[in-house]
Amino acid sequence: MESEPKGTQDQVHRSLADSIREGFEGNTFGDVMVVGGGISGVQASLDLAASGFKVYLVDKAPAIGGHMAQLDKTFPTNDCSI
Amino acid sequence: METVPLAPFQEIVEEVRANGGDAFKYCYQCGLCDTVCPWNRVTALSMRKLIREASFGLSETDEIWRCTSCGKCLQRCPREVQLVDVMVSLRRMATEYGLFPPSVRPVRGVTVGLSEQGNPLGEERETRADWAEGLSVKTFKEGMEILYFPGCYLCYDPRLQKVAAATVNLLHKAGVDFGILGVQENCCGESIRKTGNEPIFKRLARENIKTFVENGVKKILVSSPHCYHTFKNEYPEFMVNFEVVHTSEYMFQLVDEGRLKITKEYGKKVTYHDPCYLGRHNGIFDEPREVLNKVPGLKLQEMAESREDSLCCGMGGGRIWLETPKEERFSILRLKQATDLGAEVLATACPYCISQFEDSRLTLTNSEVIQIKDITEILQEVV
Amino acid sequence: MTLVRKPRYILEDQCTGCTTCVEYCPVVYPDPFNQEISTNKAIHIYFAQAVPLITYIDESCLYLKEKKCGICEDVCENDAIDFNQTAEEVEVKVGAILLAPGFEPFDPKAGNHYGYGEMQNVVTSLDYERLMCATGPYEGEIRRASDKKHPQKIAWIQCVGSRQVNPPGGNSYCSAVCCTYTQKQVILTKDHNPDAECTVFHNDIRSHGKDFERFYQRAEELPGIRFIRSYVSIGKEIPESKNVTIRYATPDEGVKEEEFEMVVLSIGLNPPADAVRLAEELGIELNPHGFCEVNPKNPMETTKPGIFVSGAFQGPIDIPESVFSASGACSQCGELLDYRRGKLSRERIYPPERDVSGEEPRIGIFVCHCGANIGRIVDVPSVVEYAKTLPHVVYAQEQLFSCATNCAKEITDMTKEMGLNRVIIAACSPRTLGPLFQDTVREAGLNQYYLEMTNIREHCSWVHTMEKEDATEKARDLIRMSVARAAHLEPLQEIDLSVNPAALVVGAGVAGMTCALSIANQGHEVHLVERDHDLGGKARSIYQTLEGLDVQAYLRDLVHKVYQNPLIHVYTDATITDADGYVGNFATRVVSERGTTEIRHGATVLAVGADVYEPSEYLYGEDDRVMTLLQLEEQINRGSEKVTDAQGLVMIQCVGCRNEERNYCSRICCSESVKNALALKKINPEMDIYILYRDMRTYGFDEDYYREAADNGVKFIRYEPQDEPVVEAGESEEGRPVLKITTPDYILGKKVEIDADIVALAAALIPSAGSREVSQLFRVPLNPDGFFQEAHVKLRPVEFATDGVYLCGLAHYPKLLRETIEQAYGAASRVLTLLSHDAITASGSICEVDENVCIGCGQCVSTCAYGAVELHKTRQGKKAIVNPVLCKGDGLCTTKCPTRAIQLKHFTDDEIWAQIDAAVETAQIPSKI
Repeated sequence: MESEPKGTQDQVHRSLADSIREGFEGNTFGDVMVVGGGISGVQASLDLAASGFKVYLVDKAPAIGGHMAQLDKTFPTNDCSI
Repeated sequence: METVPLAPFQEIVEEVRANGGDAFKYCYQCGLCDTVCPWNRVTALSMRKLIREASFGLSETDEIWRCTSCGKCLQRCPREVQLVDVMVSLRRMATEYGLFPPSVRPVRGVTVGLSEQGNPLGEERETRADWAEGLSVKTFKEGMEILYFPGCYLCYDPRLQKVAAATVNLLHKAGVDFGILGVQENCCGESIRKTGNEPIFKRLARENIKTFVENGVKKILVSSPHCYHTFKNEYPEFMVNFEVVHTSEYMFQLVDEGRLKITKEYGKKVTYHDPCYLGRHNGIFDEPREVLNKVPGLKLQEMAESREDSLCCGMGGGRIWLETPKEERFSILRLKQATDLGAEVLATACPYCISQFEDSRLTLTNSEVIQIKDITEILQEVV
Repeated sequence: MTLVRKPRYILEDQCTGCTTCVEYCPVVYPDPFNQEISTNKAIHIYFAQAVPLITYIDESCLYLKEKKCGICEDVCENDAIDFNQTAEEVEVKVGAILLAPGFEPFDPKAGNHYGYGEMQNVVTSLDYERLMCATGPYEGEIRRASDKKHPQKIAWIQCVGSRQVNPPGGNSYCSAVCCTYTQKQVILTKDHNPDAECTVFHNDIRSHGKDFERFYQRAEELPGIRFIRSYVSIGKEIPESKNVTIRYATPDEGVKEEEFEMVVLSIGLNPPADAVRLAEELGIELNPHGFCEVNPKNPMETTKPGIFVSGAFQGPIDIPESVFSASGACSQCGELLDYRRGKLSRERIYPPERDVSGEEPRIGIFVCHCGANIGRIVDVPSVVEYAKTLPHVVYAQEQLFSCATNCAKEITDMTKEMGLNRVIIAACSPRTLGPLFQDTVREAGLNQYYLEMTNIREHCSWVHTMEKEDATEKARDLIRMSVARAAHLEPLQEIDLSVNPAALVVGAGVAGMTCALSIANQGHEVHLVERDHDLGGKARSIYQTLEGLDVQAYLRDLVHKVYQNPLIHVYTDATITDADGYVGNFATRVVSERGTTEIRHGATVLAVGADVYEPSEYLYGEDDRVMTLLQLEEQINRGSEKVTDAQGLVMIQCVGCRNEERNYCSRICCSESVKNALALKKINPEMDIYILYRDMRTYGFDEDYYREAADNGVKFIRYEPQDEPVVEAGESEEGRPVLKITTPDYILGKKVEIDADIVALAAALIPSAGSREVSQLFRVPLNPDGFFQEAHVKLRPVEFATDGVYLCGLAHYPKLLRETIEQAYGAASRVLTLLSHDAITASGSICEVDENVCIGCGQCVSTCAYGAVELHKTRQGKKAIVNPVLCKGDGLCTTKCPTRAIQLKHFTDDEIWAQIDAAVETAQIPSKI
């Protein structure tokens, strides 16, 4: 994730925070709901937010990351997974 | 490496397929069958290679006779290759062409016995019910609760006749209304079929079916898992269906229903050996154990390889009629597992297993450390 | 949609993630994140780097169970514990849903044949992953459960839960990732312990991904590594040592039983645990394997419009595919919802920037505990006290988690209150949180380049866990250095660049056309450039996919849509003569049947496809009975009797690749051979078909077709590269002219000679002839095999390191049609993240040339990997000039410049020297230096 252009990261931060906050405020209109916060769901949320959509990212675990967060490193570069 | 042109063997491949061995086609040569095959505990045998040879029509005759059809490879094969079917198919072809290597020649005598006297032991048909003398066993009549079908070895083999006697004693005690077919009984045909002799199997099966139908048989009690298997899974090929029950299941039922009352203790350490055809092939694992567990004082212990993982005694697939050198007998390994456990009795529920273990017991330095018993023989002592 | 929000029992805004509560919590239970190898508490943070990095309370909590305890409530200084939280229903209204629920690891306890859960030293690959991990149960030390010793002799068993139709409970498909993750685990095991002996038991190594073949070789060539081709059974557990024996089969030496200290089960990927419920709730269908049923023409579409799918819920796939299918699905959401784009997002407004240029430096320092990460090693309070003594420092404080919302606000507030004009945050790496803190500083009205970060975590506490005092000393040194640098920091301006909303797509195969259409469907003009006269690329010679898709019909429809779309401009017979510009503002000159066109565009997609290797092996070109797979497919579909009436047909795999010259796997050939074999068997069931292979690589659901081909009587014979098949012209027994193929069979231990009428070669896919030229024009790299090199093989599979340039299709690497379609949509999505903005921001930290000092030597020009520096003529001669948009701020040029004329802003010599000078306090410098 480190290599994401920082603009994108900011927006997702915002978008996720907004989603949560607005969830309580009753404004629950969004563009896309992404089910699953593993690598695929996270990438999707980043893309959607960066191209102007409001995203609800939902996951059953208490933190995002999915199975990839459990991996030590990834092949074939043996880069750190986190 | 030697080079073999495949074209001339195409016809053989077709013949293997026609004889029911088409399953070789699924094999992707992973070798898992070899790793579980009991032969590789005593000597080398590659089922993978036998299947591969069959798929190219390059089978050699000797090795195909080794398979005991124990079903260990079937249980694990990831491509669901019916390896036993392929072996039987090759044996059918060998039988058809009369290609018996010296070690397999005894099968010829068996075939003669089966076709002339209805049993593989070369005994006379007239003496088939002699075991029942003095045991007040009736001949089966329509309307009786159950037909008891002891099978060839229980009828003729002196050691196994004791099992037949134990069984009928228990049936009497439980008040079961049963009968036997006596001289009308024929070998079930299971093992001869595994040697590839399809015509004899069919003849035996048809004769038995005819006798069953004529006598109004609905439910059959068997002592041998091999009879059980063929009645239950193979006779339906002839468009008949009989209710089949194995003694271990039936005894459990009788005890459970209170028809058979256990009154005594049996203070021994017992281990139970799952016969391949009762366990792996037919999924009966629990009843034999449960009935043993009902016996007060009896301490049932499990060997490492139990239930689905049970180690074959070596006698299936027609091997009962062939000579196996002492150092190649799985039964000796199995007996050692039992004695290592400290078991005083090796209980089982198959005539082939019993006769083989009895045989192997004699190779022990002290053959008295362990007894081989059918479940009915143990029950007989406690009711 | 109604969602149930499970109670966390934690107020998210209050929790700082300090983990004090975790220390006091009395409930110890197996930690699911660490595969239950280690323990955790009822209240804990999910994992060390979790987002959000706050605690939650689990069902094992005593208070939740029996209303006892509640210690955490007492110890929490922020009153963040809230046991009154309940599950709440949240109703969400959305225009589209994207399902990315992933997979469930196969559970080897089901029908256990491997002793998992019974033998202590049998673990799954996911368990092993946690064992290797620094945040794992033994802090990254690989230990076995029975005696906590480091295992020396380790075995991996492949295909546990994969490639099996028996016994029940397994999966018939190939899980596609296990071969390579096992190799990774082997390599990392050797990193942990060079003496480790690793054995991998397998039946085909499937290294079909990009760079995987080399990775496989790397693993295989390590000392003490064995790859053994045999599935295995577990022998026994040895009571004394708890070692486990494995029985495996060899063709030459029969069955062997060998003892291992640890056994790793390479478990496969199952459908997500709640797939059935999810499908029922949403009204989508599942396939027979329990994964999502998808449209074969568009694998990101479920059976219900508006619901899309990405990642492993499509089927077992690797990370790059999970990433680009995610992007691909986004592009389709974008097509659906383009009309409402931007309506729900908000612009961020910062306070006006304060001009501090005339002020003396007033530095504030915030030292972060990072929970226990830093605080447990470094004596943070003493560091704070020390910091206060440093020059220009007017304020210093400690924080538990500087990145927590409340702490960030504290930084903003204190900056304003104390009138700070430089802010130092001593915490973690600026790589992760630099942008966040820049934001924090801007909120206080400071230019974000007045932020300095001191890394006292990765560079200090994490690497000196045993040396607390020295670590504290080092933290002081690092902060002193930061202070010295901070005094020299200058405000920098970021530039807003306009973005041209059009895209250029190079190559009009399935990848290029799909990508172009998706971009155009989101309202952007696309220029689609094709070298050939016709559109379609390689797909023109494919007739069906393995799943039965009619490729020609699909292609006709695609071409039709492209020509119909008013936003797509097609250029055929085209050559690109010049490419210039930068992200958002490219200019490309194209000569085509339209004449010469100068195209201006904001984004570029390279989809130039691949070529097929022309074999020189196996009589190809000499005997017309020898053909490539594509030629075979063409003849099958033309109904050529020469092919359909053949008595014998042999396919040879890996022709022209997996060799020294092309050290990669072409990925698709095994599936393609199986496809053609099945097609032939359908036409002529009597045909004898042989496939000679090295490893069958029918990954994923294609494994089912491999078995189906076997079922149809197709014979598979394995060969090894040193024993390649020999093809010769000859005669059959009946005197028919045939090709005689001789090849070894290792199980038979004999060579077999096959008579064939046709030999089809699975010729490698090779980089497109034009790819080198294209790579030079667009200044993007190729990998050693000549395929385009993406920015990151796992995480950025459809873009280049060069901003604004993207890739998809075979140009990236050989792949199946469905994968190409996904990647094409994926590239479109990434293009939209750029083109949907009117402007983009370029960093202020870029290089600048002092023309007075520059001698025009051009060393900086040749050094720059991004083409950001050029020489231009001035009255004083040639001088270097930096294009601020292309400059990535890597500073490489500054190291080459002989006169120090070129400087990287934010990392100027003055700043760096000041930092270095402060490294050693003056008094300590030996006089002799």
